[in-house]
Amino acid sequence: MSEFELMIRRQDREQIWIDRFTVEERPGMTVLEALFHVQEKIDGSLCFRYSCRGAVCGSCAMLINKVPRLACRTQVSEVKDETTDEPKDGVASIKPSEIIEGRNGILVEPLPNLSVIRDLIVDMDHFYELVDSIKPWINSDAKEKATLMEPSMQIQLEKYTNCILCATCHGACPAAARNGEYLGPAALAKAWRFHLDPRSKEKDRKELAEFINSDSGVWGCDVVYKCVAVCPKKVTPTQGILKLRGKME
Amino acid sequence: MIDHDIIVIGGGLAGLRAALEADKKGVDVAIISKVHPIRSHSGAAQGGINASLGLDDSWGSHALDTVKGSDYLADQDTVEILCREAPERVIEMENWGTNFSRTEDGNIAQRPFGGAGFPRTCYAGDRTGHNLLHTLYEQVLRSGIKVYSEWLVTKLIVDKEKCVGFLAMNTIDSKLESFRAKATILATGGYGRIYQRSTNAIINRGSGIGLAYTAGVPLQDMEFVQFHPTTLLGTNILITEGARGEGGYLYNKNHERFMINYAANAMELAPRDIVARAIQTEIDEGRAFPGGYVQLDITHLGNDTINERLPGIRQISIDFAGVDPVKEPIPVQPGQHYSMGGVSSNKDGETPVSGLYAVGECACISVHGANRLGGNSLLDTVVFGKRAGAAASDYIVSQEAISDDILSKAIADENEMIEALMGESGENFAEIREELQAVMQNNVGVFRTREKLDLAFERIKELKKRADNIKVMSKTNVFNFELLNALELKAMLELAQVITLGALVREESRGAHFRTDFTERNDEEWLKHTLAYYTEEGPRLAYKDVTITQFQPKRREY
Repeated sequence: MSEFELMIRRQDREQIWIDRFTVEERPGMTVLEALFHVQEKIDGSLCFRYSCRGAVCGSCAMLINKVPRLACRTQVSEVKDETTDEPKDGVASIKPSEIIEGRNGILVEPLPNLSVIRDLIVDMDHFYELVDSIKPWINSDAKEKATLMEPSMQIQLEKYTNCILCATCHGACPAAARNGEYLGPAALAKAWRFHLDPRSKEKDRKELAEFINSDSGVWGCDVVYKCVAVCPKKVTPTQGILKLRGKME
Repeated sequence: MIDHDIIVIGGGLAGLRAALEADKKGVDVAIISKVHPIRSHSGAAQGGINASLGLDDSWGSHALDTVKGSDYLADQDTVEILCREAPERVIEMENWGTNFSRTEDGNIAQRPFGGAGFPRTCYAGDRTGHNLLHTLYEQVLRSGIKVYSEWLVTKLIVDKEKCVGFLAMNTIDSKLESFRAKATILATGGYGRIYQRSTNAIINRGSGIGLAYTAGVPLQDMEFVQFHPTTLLGTNILITEGARGEGGYLYNKNHERFMINYAANAMELAPRDIVARAIQTEIDEGRAFPGGYVQLDITHLGNDTINERLPGIRQISIDFAGVDPVKEPIPVQPGQHYSMGGVSSNKDGETPVSGLYAVGECACISVHGANRLGGNSLLDTVVFGKRAGAAASDYIVSQEAISDDILSKAIADENEMIEALMGESGENFAEIREELQAVMQNNVGVFRTREKLDLAFERIKELKKRADNIKVMSKTNVFNFELLNALELKAMLELAQVITLGALVREESRGAHFRTDFTERNDEEWLKHTLAYYTEEGPRLAYKDVTITQFQPKRREY
């Protein structure tokens, strides 16, 4: 079996460095498995978030070869020979380019646009606060009957309810990089989902529209579709944002 | 010290539903979880949630299917509650915003599932758990319930047969904190990762069940471990029963639909224990593909049906096995999936220790008996989560404030234990864990014999001894996963021992527990629940009766 080099951007308080590990590649190995190999066999102090390992929980978003992705869904075989001298799709780079010079392997860094707590763990609270600020819930108490809903509406909603809040979109977003107040693609995609949902109350829909009708809301988006490009669940925040803009008075 | 009237440990479906109910009753309730709630394993559930919504369906018919599926080990009074309350809970989830799939006339769509006499499994594509989890979390946000995310609970504090709180480590700085609560609700999920091949999230290590066990609460029916028939070759990620519910076929290497030899009527939709044994038999007898798998074929369902109803498993197959199910069959094999057993608790989640409740997969209520039907676990979480939240809210009214002393002393002891775990050389947690997983996979799996169970029991004892010498070498205080893993491994070893001993002593075959040396169900001697009590020397077993109301045990045929 062949070996590959795994380069991990480490951080502990003010100190930032790159560690290089040689890892044996197994068939079907994911980047998450490679990280576990390091944590369990080589350096127990390495930290990263994980849970499902099946691309449904959204814990392990990180920058892999300069692209925000879920480590569990990224096959080593797909990325080990990627050339990343240029940031792919122009996605924001957070490290000087010298560390990837003449390399052949995989570079793993923390998700951009959120502050690093240690190693690959970023402060997700900021991201959650942005999402929660739009009040993402249905204000309803249980009734005796289920709401009737057209199957076509269910399908429209599904494009947005598929979001797993992994924040890859946030890590790819140039507007989020510039402006920490910007609600960001995940929150705005959710705003569209609740705007669309027939179970939302008119009053809540209005309040939501007012809240997002600002430069930190729907008007803050650069409409460059980077969030759409990186979403592991094929959610389309930009399309949602454009539709919401159309609803603004 | 942190204080709340009720604290729920675990932020999956059962925990969130329990907390919501307590909040609705005006109680000061909080949630503590080792991951952010939306990262919980509930989100990985695919196929659906059962409720007799159909006009010609009934809760009684749901109950009969559940009891028969359980191989008559389920308690029928709690099964009645599960099935009676199902429609109300599912409708409530819909009202709160769950994006259920719909029929043409706009109702919640339902699909057939294994062991069910009626298509009563409500679903949101094949991402039902994800949709339910996000909906409940949204309602928790709406209610403003305090959530302590990324804290690992290390010890329950039981004083005079009463649970008065617990200790937990904040993973961001590794500091221990004591939590005082008049009632504690365990909703910590399963232990799948004590097996090598499991559909479970990596975080499912059973440490919550271990907390109750070492605090003196009995574990019930732990030998009943569900092996899901269809997990993806390689990663063992779940491929939903919904794939067969929608019409998928299972083939061996000779392209035979082999289920005809095991369940001629139900075929692929026989209950999970039966299909898992069928596949394992095909593998063991050389009729499977090299590498030990069979094929799950859904190609005949066509592009549209697959994209509409099974988009998640299509993506999983492409991402993790390089197979597109629209074009070719999915390679599948059985893998550990669910624990029918758990912390012994009743219809309101009450355990034998006052002030301690247990719900969801970590509990044994017992509605699943010896084999759970697909679609009943999501239902279990919301039905009994709500009931436990309500019961705990009533319970705390009569409870007086708890003194600090016992919690302060406990924290000093626990800090000492953790201090002793740190060191430069000793056993490594990962090696012991890997060996444990291999022992369980090879000896306590789909087919069991005395010989293998004996061997496993001895091996686990050795591993426990070695685990006493585990040392954590990482010194960091910020997300010290080596420390967290070492702490959690202790529970994994305890639970493995309980499962193995229960399986060794139970000389019969019932539901998911199959002994090749005792192939028949034996109601005369074994129609009873196993209870396991913690002792320093290992588990002490006791037994209790099964509650039978309307369905007398019969031979199970499908």
